[in-house]
This record gives sequence, C-alpha cells and structure tokens, in this order.
Amino acid sequence: MLDAILFERAGVPAIAVVTEPFRATGEAMATSWGMPGYRFLEVPHPIANLGDKELDERADRLVEQVVALLAGASR
Amino acid sequence: MSSAAEPDPASLIEAYFERGWTDGLPVVPPTEKSVAEMLAGAGLRRDEILGEIPGRNTVVVAEKVAINAALAGCRPEYMPVVAAAVRGLCHPDFAYHGPASSTGGSAMVLIVNGPIARRLGLNSGNNAFGQGWRPNATIGRAVRLTMMNVMQTRPGLLDRAVLGNPGKYSFCFAENEDDHPWEPLHVARGLSPARSAVTIYASNSLYQVYNQLAAEPEPLLVCFADALSNLGLPNVKGFNQALLVVAGEHTEILRQSGWSRGQVQSFLIEHTRRRVADLKRAARLPGEVTPADETAWRYFFEKPDDILLVCAGGRAGSWSACLPGWGNKWTKAVTTAIGEIP
Repeated sequence: MLDAILFERAGVPAIAVVTEPFRATGEAMATSWGMPGYRFLEVPHPIANLGDKELDERADRLVEQVVALLAGASR
Repeated sequence: MSSAAEPDPASLIEAYFERGWTDGLPVVPPTEKSVAEMLAGAGLRRDEILGEIPGRNTVVVAEKVAINAALAGCRPEYMPVVAAAVRGLCHPDFAYHGPASSTGGSAMVLIVNGPIARRLGLNSGNNAFGQGWRPNATIGRAVRLTMMNVMQTRPGLLDRAVLGNPGKYSFCFAENEDDHPWEPLHVARGLSPARSAVTIYASNSLYQVYNQLAAEPEPLLVCFADALSNLGLPNVKGFNQALLVVAGEHTEILRQSGWSRGQVQSFLIEHTRRRVADLKRAARLPGEVTPADETAWRYFFEKPDDILLVCAGGRAGSWSACLPGWGNKWTKAVTTAIGEIP
C-alpha cells in the first residue's frame, strides 16, 4: 500500500492490491499519508496457502481491473 | 487538556475513553502543569523531535509523548526512560511498521539497565513481568499510548494483531544486574556500565521454560532451544532474534558453570534447529518430503548476538522465559542510552 502511495506521489501511476480484511488498514494508511479515498483493489483472503493454479486464476481475474484503474487516472 | 476551569476528573476519564485515546483502562487526564513537569523530567523542549516513523509519515514531538506519559500515569522522573524508548521505537533498525502493525501482535518489550532502574524503583525481581510496580506498569503503557495516539497505531486499523497479547498494555522491566553471570545487556550491546539504557524488542509471545532437575548448563539450555524451535515458530527461515530471560535458580546454574554469554549463545545456535522433513510435514516449508530432508537440519539463528540474554526474576524457582522475536531480517532490538538530567 505504502509503495503504491509513494509511486503516486512520485508521479508514477500505481495500484495497491489488498486482501479484503485489510481494507480498513489500507484506508488508514492512505489517510495517514494525506490521501484519504485513495483507490486500491481488494481480493479475497487468504492467499498465502493457495497453489500456483489458484493464484494464477486470481491474478487473471484481477488484470482487467488493474489496467482499468491505471488507465483511468481518476484518482 | 483541562483549562483553568477544571472539569470533573471522572468525566474527563470517560471523555478520553470515548475519543479512543486510551488502552481501555482509565487514564490520568493530563494538565498543562503535568505535561510541563513531564517534559522537565527529561529536560525536553515541547517541540523537540524524538524521531520519526517514515512509513507512517509521522514526526514524533516531545510534547505529544509527554501527554501520553501523563495519560499513562508516569511520574516525571520516568520520562527519560519513556523518551529513550520512543527514540528506539523510531530507530530505522527497529523498522516500526512491521512489529507495530503485523497480525502477529507484538508487545514492545522494554528492558531497562543501569543506575536509573534502581533510582526509579523498576522491578527486576519477583514478578518482574507482572503487576504491582508503577514504573514497570506505566513506562510501557506510555510507549503503547504514544503508538496509538501519535503514530495512529490503533487496533483494527494500523494495528492488525490477530490476537495481540497482554504485554501490549505494558511490558517493561529492569535487568537484575546483581549476581549476574555476565555483563549486563546494555554493556554487551556496547554501552558503559555507568550509563543507563533501555532496549526495545518486539515479541509476540512469552513462553515460560521450566526445569527443576538441571544442575548443569547443557540440559537447561536444551530446554530453551526446544522452546525456541517449535513447529509453530513464526519464522523458520533462520533470521530470528530471541530474548531469553534467565531467572531464579537457572541464573545460578549458569553463573556457577562459568559459561560466558558467548558460550551460551553458541550452544543455543547449535541446538535450536528442526529437521527439514519435520517442517515440511507440518507445512511450515513447501514441497514434498525427500529422503535427504530426514537428515537435513534447518537452524533458526545465525549470529550469537541474535540471542539476547537477560537476567531478571525472583531468586527461588526453576522458571525462565523465552520471547521469540519478530524476525531480525526486518526488525532488530534497539538499545538507546537514557539521557540523564543534570
């Protein structure tokens, strides 16, 4: 999350991906950096115990949203 | 803060709780006077910067820490310890964001060394981790309240502890420097014995180690090594830091043995290990178990100084304690000299 915020501050479009239970933490981090409402993507939790196939499937489902957010520059 | 027309203390306590400025226990409402006394206790200016938390975009100013020390119930003479602990918290080696925010829910363990510990009456003896001593209870509490109120480290938000632990209220004790088998911790970490210091160390658990029959170091230390190599250890990749608090009769066994601090640390490095096969069967390492895994060992510590040895606790009893660390690849214990007030 912090990496994405720092990239954005440096003028580089970025997307943070956060698992769902960490939404409030992502929002709090964005607020502490003076970027309340900063948009990030949420994915289901957990991910650490997934196999390669399941991880690839999740990543595939995410790609379009990542591209849309990066291209949108609507933040 | 209260003004000239002092509100009722009981209603202030409720107001602080409702605003989320407490750890759940009642706080001592600060006043202009008590905050000024707290700053004077450490010889600090209001606007003096004690450190910053880069990952949090937060600069920590002395006045804010003094307010939280007052909230915690500290006496002004405790403030030099609180300020040094906060400086340690902000040190880059401590890498605040990890231990403060991780799901592991670390306590910030404060170990106080040197003359100030005795002067303040910090407990290093019986019940050193327990209740009953004001500096132990309030210095650690001041650090936690500073984390919550200055660094915005609030449960569920930037503090994501799954369970947390009771040491998150306060975990502060002094090392027992009398009858010590070795030099005190702050001396081992490069300071002179005449200095006072506080070491901050992040640990998510405390496990008491019992052994009443051991009369030599080896069987006793094997028990420590076993406690530090369980399959649920957070970090099995070999970049751990651990705190061992040697107490009571165990201290005497080590003192009489003549083993140096380095010998104890080396023994523990050698014996704190698991077979790769055990770790794979427990899904602590990925992959299928191979025949070679049955005889391949994974060691959990790399360097002697990764094992912090401290003496505290009562003289009678066969108990010591292991406190696994948050992992020294990211976070290292930090020892900060305590500024003495002339």
